[in-house]
Amino acid sequence: MKRICLVCQNVDCKIRGSEAIMKELQQGVTDRGLSDVEVRPYMCFGACQEGPNVVLYPEKSWYASVKKEDLNDILGHLAGGPDVKRLDTIDGSLKELIYQLLDTGVF
Amino acid sequence: MPGILFPRGVVEGRESLEVYRARGGYEALDKTLKQLSSDQVMQIVAESGLRGRGGAGFPTGKKWAFTAEAPETPHYVVLNGGEDEPGSMKDRLLMESLPHLVLEGIVLAAYAVKASKAYLYINAAYKDAIQSMLDALAEAKQAGYCGERILGSDFSLEVLLTPAPHEYVAGEDTAALEVIEDKKPLPRQKPPFPATSGLFGKPTAVNNVETLANVPPIIAKGAKWYRSFGTAESPGTMIFSLNDEVKKPGVYELAFGTPLRYLIEKCGGGTREGKKIKAILPGGPSSAFLRAEQIDVALDHNSVRAAGSSIGCGVVGIVVERSCIVEEVLRIAEFFAAESCGQCPACRMETNMLAMMLKKVQQGQGGQPILDQFSKVIAFNKGKGFCNLVNMPGPPIESALKLFRSDFDFHLANGRCP
Repeated sequence: MKRICLVCQNVDCKIRGSEAIMKELQQGVTDRGLSDVEVRPYMCFGACQEGPNVVLYPEKSWYASVKKEDLNDILGHLAGGPDVKRLDTIDGSLKELIYQLLDTGVF
Repeated sequence: MPGILFPRGVVEGRESLEVYRARGGYEALDKTLKQLSSDQVMQIVAESGLRGRGGAGFPTGKKWAFTAEAPETPHYVVLNGGEDEPGSMKDRLLMESLPHLVLEGIVLAAYAVKASKAYLYINAAYKDAIQSMLDALAEAKQAGYCGERILGSDFSLEVLLTPAPHEYVAGEDTAALEVIEDKKPLPRQKPPFPATSGLFGKPTAVNNVETLANVPPIIAKGAKWYRSFGTAESPGTMIFSLNDEVKKPGVYELAFGTPLRYLIEKCGGGTREGKKIKAILPGGPSSAFLRAEQIDVALDHNSVRAAGSSIGCGVVGIVVERSCIVEEVLRIAEFFAAESCGQCPACRMETNMLAMMLKKVQQGQGGQPILDQFSKVIAFNKGKGFCNLVNMPGPPIESALKLFRSDFDFHLANGRCP
């Protein structure tokens, strides 16, 4: 199964630069030869105030308020490195809701 | 059936000032300016039990009292003729056919809430309605029913037009105020409510067209007479809209409490091609589905609520047998996703998410677990928006899942309609 890196592209995240973040992640995945990872846009995770939001699935890692300088660490995680604990700030109940949706294939 | 607004049944064609006067038009205004104080007008409207016809059903007398008693001045009245509810045609018909009745209602409302300026906020797509109201305004000014020192009294009212953008949220009362203030139609956070802090931050009575059209007959004939129509909790009549699902689509004015069956079968002539009914949406796309067996429910606020739904602004939708409820709710969810103005994150997320989830179900993806997620997404976002749009997809989707689960199961198993 392909691993998916979802990058929110709703208005708030976009205003905060999520389009550029998605492009850099796509480029980074290619550069690192992570052929099992697909970087995809996501409609909204419901955490707009804390965007840009990036969710890795099936890892179920949620990275909030992501900046360009964080991307190296996120790509590192995708390449098998440690998760990026400082970006893991989202409330548990929202995570559960979104992870359940992802489990049902809503992406 | 004789109604209150259309005493000889719903007729199309514009009623002239002469014809309106010949049937007692502007007598309520004349009586008011000669005999009644603002408080007395409000008292009569409160006693009549008139409830707003825009969807919420809030008591008009109570709403007006907030505005009338607000110390800040000036006060305003806004005629909300945005009418963007899919399938609703009643406000357009009233403005096109009975413009003087609507205008007299505006003048009486302004007198009651002590306003000196009123705005006609009318859907820009309703060219004929706008023209009809502007013509009525000119005629009324000429005849002394509007403008400076109305009918020789101390009361003056200036009436101005603001065309309303033809989009769903533009009909929300605070979005209407934004447009009149020359801004984008984005709902405001409430409270404060428009009644105390509305147009330009001043006390404003924003009322639906049909609501205001009820005021002249109430003042002319009294609260007791008005209460002889309808039920104790929902006095008077309501104009219901029937669309293409029936043989005779159109608008029908019925006393509150009339059985839904009467509207569909007697007024609408039953379903097109006589198909059996599968489900009914008694109050537009944001109301919960009723089962076909509930067709004898009385059309009033309490009875429809007790049946599990809401009466909204009277747009009755019918789903006939062999139609698929999944397709119906997907259409509704996509409508709300498209019409969400986007300023509240929760609404944007919820409306898009629900539409996407239903699309998955339609295509047979997600399995049974996806069906359990709908209520969670709806609960998570409940009330988290400036306006009510965030709450609107909930009732149709949750009722559809409860009443027509087999349609969802079939889609999940087969990826197509049953």
